[in-house]
Amino acid sequence: MPETAPRGSATNAAAEVRRDSRWRRLRRLPITLYLGGLLVFLFVFVALLSFVWTPYPPNHLNLRNRLAGPGTPGFLLGTDRAGRDVVTELMLGARNSLYVSVVSTVVAMVLGSAIGLAIAGSHRVAQGPLTRLVDAGLALPGILIALVLAAKLGAGNTTATLAIIAWQVPVAARVTIGPARQVLALDFVEAAYGYGRRKPYVMVRHVLPNISPLLIVLGSVMFAAAILIEAALAFLGVGVQPPTSSWGRFLNETQSLLEAAPYLMFFPGLAIVLTALGFNLLGDGLRTVLDPQQARSGLA
Amino acid sequence: MLELDDLRVHIGGHEIVHIEHLSLEPGSRLGLVGESGSGKTMTAKAVAGLLPDEARVSGSVRFNGRELLAMNDRQMSEVRGRKIGFVFQDPARSLNPMMRVGRQVSEAIRVHSELPRAAVARKVVALLEQVQLPDPPTLMRRYPHQLSGGQQQRVMIAAAIAADPEFLIADEPTTALDVTVQEEILRLLISLSEQRGMGVLFVSHDLGVIRFVCDRVAVIYGGAVVETGRTEDVIAAPRHRYTAALLAANPGMPRDDNFRAFIGQRLHTIPGSVPPVGTFPSGCRFRNRCVAASEACTAMPGVLDAGDGHRYSCWNPVEGL
Amino acid sequence: MALVEVENMWFHYPRARLGAGVEGWTLQDISVQVQAQSTLGIVGESGSGKSTLIRVMCGLLRHQRGVVRFDGRDIAGLSGRDAVDRRQRNQMVFQNPRRSLDPRMTIRRSLSEPVRALLDRSPDDTEMTGWLERVGLGPDVLPRFPHQLSGGQLQRIGIARSLSVNPTILYADEPVSALDVSVQAQVLNLLMDLREQLGLTLVMVSHDLGVVSRMCAEIVVMRHGAVIESGPTEVVLGAPATDYTRALLHAARAASLEREGAEG
Repeated sequence: MPETAPRGSATNAAAEVRRDSRWRRLRRLPITLYLGGLLVFLFVFVALLSFVWTPYPPNHLNLRNRLAGPGTPGFLLGTDRAGRDVVTELMLGARNSLYVSVVSTVVAMVLGSAIGLAIAGSHRVAQGPLTRLVDAGLALPGILIALVLAAKLGAGNTTATLAIIAWQVPVAARVTIGPARQVLALDFVEAAYGYGRRKPYVMVRHVLPNISPLLIVLGSVMFAAAILIEAALAFLGVGVQPPTSSWGRFLNETQSLLEAAPYLMFFPGLAIVLTALGFNLLGDGLRTVLDPQQARSGLA
Repeated sequence: MLELDDLRVHIGGHEIVHIEHLSLEPGSRLGLVGESGSGKTMTAKAVAGLLPDEARVSGSVRFNGRELLAMNDRQMSEVRGRKIGFVFQDPARSLNPMMRVGRQVSEAIRVHSELPRAAVARKVVALLEQVQLPDPPTLMRRYPHQLSGGQQQRVMIAAAIAADPEFLIADEPTTALDVTVQEEILRLLISLSEQRGMGVLFVSHDLGVIRFVCDRVAVIYGGAVVETGRTEDVIAAPRHRYTAALLAANPGMPRDDNFRAFIGQRLHTIPGSVPPVGTFPSGCRFRNRCVAASEACTAMPGVLDAGDGHRYSCWNPVEGL
Repeated sequence: MALVEVENMWFHYPRARLGAGVEGWTLQDISVQVQAQSTLGIVGESGSGKSTLIRVMCGLLRHQRGVVRFDGRDIAGLSGRDAVDRRQRNQMVFQNPRRSLDPRMTIRRSLSEPVRALLDRSPDDTEMTGWLERVGLGPDVLPRFPHQLSGGQLQRIGIARSLSVNPTILYADEPVSALDVSVQAQVLNLLMDLREQLGLTLVMVSHDLGVVSRMCAEIVVMRHGAVIESGPTEVVLGAPATDYTRALLHAARAASLEREGAEG
């Protein structure tokens, strides 16, 4: 079947077209990308800012201003039962959230996609059983993994991080297998074998770049999941332990005051929701931006 | 029956198609031939009302006297199927993989008529028999992936003619098929057209296939018809330089089975390639690739008549034999 | 001695369970010889095994039974330098030029890959410009990505890439079936010219008898994984011995233009 294709003539004309289309693409970017990007930026900014500045030092108890409501001078979002400033706590919680989700997502992505690539590149006969094995991993309930780990290792950030990794590795692997196999079936891979390239090289130089848009999207969605799981584990007491601040633990500690001081649950809850939403929106926006490109490169 | 006048299609500020005039008689088969990017598929889509959203159409497409371009979506979908059927290039992509074959054909019947179930089922069997599929009652229960490419294309054709259209648009229907299957499908299209008096607009890049199927041909370049006439006339004595170049570039088969003389013979080529949309030269659009281009070609050539409806637009035509 | 000798070769794709019968074999008992500097066309319908056959001959797939010899040596027994050497001398051009170049690599990188992989060095732009000239392209394509080029240009690059390691034999799997008629003609002529200039052996798969009969002096007709007819093109197609070849010819003639052998 004959195909149409853009045909550039002179190099600088092509460069001009490229610049022009880049600018036009920027204007046409989806709103989700901007919204998600903004929320994610705020989250990261606040978390990093907490290293150099917080309204009050970590764990500073304002004993005279316990349970101050939001808007109390000096305490924008109020204080908790022990007199800790909520803004300070949220900033420190963001830091912990960021730390756990960065570590777990990076490790899970690298491990998971490596496993996915290895399975996609394995012998055709072995692929079925190996994929089912990953499916079995997907079926494991994450909270259970966390509880078992907590029983073995004790509660803490390490436990939470390991639990999230164990939870996410099968996800990353499963999502990688299909697209990687699609790339492996393309002629340029066969051509590479034809001129003497071996499988590891093909995986790293051909398959990985071609599925990278997918991995970027996957990464941002996994980040959102990691934020939620970290908060959930901390809430259940399996995650980070005092005195380190965490959104989930803050929620747990303040739940008994739900009626007396609802803002104590509202603000950390809002922080969790907005951050997770931010990463999901970012992932969604990236998908819209990166997918057509992927289609153009022959994956669709 | 079908008449196009001053049909223009614009996409993204560029004129992709500009057909001055083209008509198709009932029961006749017209070939649209051109390279990719020539606008042949866009022309077919304009007739079918299947252009992408960003396309702007002007001019006139009349079908049995009714103006298709003036119709709204509902009227148009009424026309599609009942009056005009479609067969596309890749049957594997045009059939729903999750739907049984019988269902795909019966859907096409039910959209346009209120026949009772049993009558629909009988009609599906009859249609599958008409497209010469073996054992229709069994085949109806199969899924598309269980059929060969040729069988899938036959199912597509059965669905296309299910509502007894007066006119069929076939866009490269055999490009994805093997040569023996291609011949069978083309013969099927010809016999259906003859039995039913059904007109066919046949889009292809291969003049060999066009010659086999169509009584008339329109050669399209840069979105415009550069030459049209009876297929035999155009192929035997092309006037437009583009038609001649397209013929000379076709590998073909050796005359009189003289394979010995065929081996190693170079083909005549057309220099360069079809320019991207919006960068065609002024005047004759083919002039920057034409071997006979002259000063005159910077102006748009008029339509010349070589007799018998054989018309072409060229300043320096190939001399008649 | 023939350059490539295939003797009683059987091939099947990896599968979970081995069936005992003939059905599981994609290629059955194939014997084919390719003389140095000759042109061989392999024709047949989809599913006949023609693309699989050239992949086995080229060394991209490994057969299970029988022998495939290149330059007199069994290719299954080659290792180390000999295996690399055989790879270098057997190169392939693919059907779909858009799929045979990595969309995320520049043309410069794609073009240099065979030399990097097989000869272990990075060719410079001057050298690559020479390869591109051979196929009628300029160095301006080097920094481009595949989506910025036309199908015809990409197929020329595919050919330049295959020729960059100076192969002895070029396998072409439907090299023009994804291209427009006018571009087809350019690429076919280019292949004929290069073959003559470089003294290449050409093995070409095509479903188009017109293309094969122009390009190839010898022909193999395949059906259901077996060779059913082979010999000089003018004999096999001029006076077919099997009904199947006759049917193929009949169908091809019906939907093709008749052309004189010698062009004016």
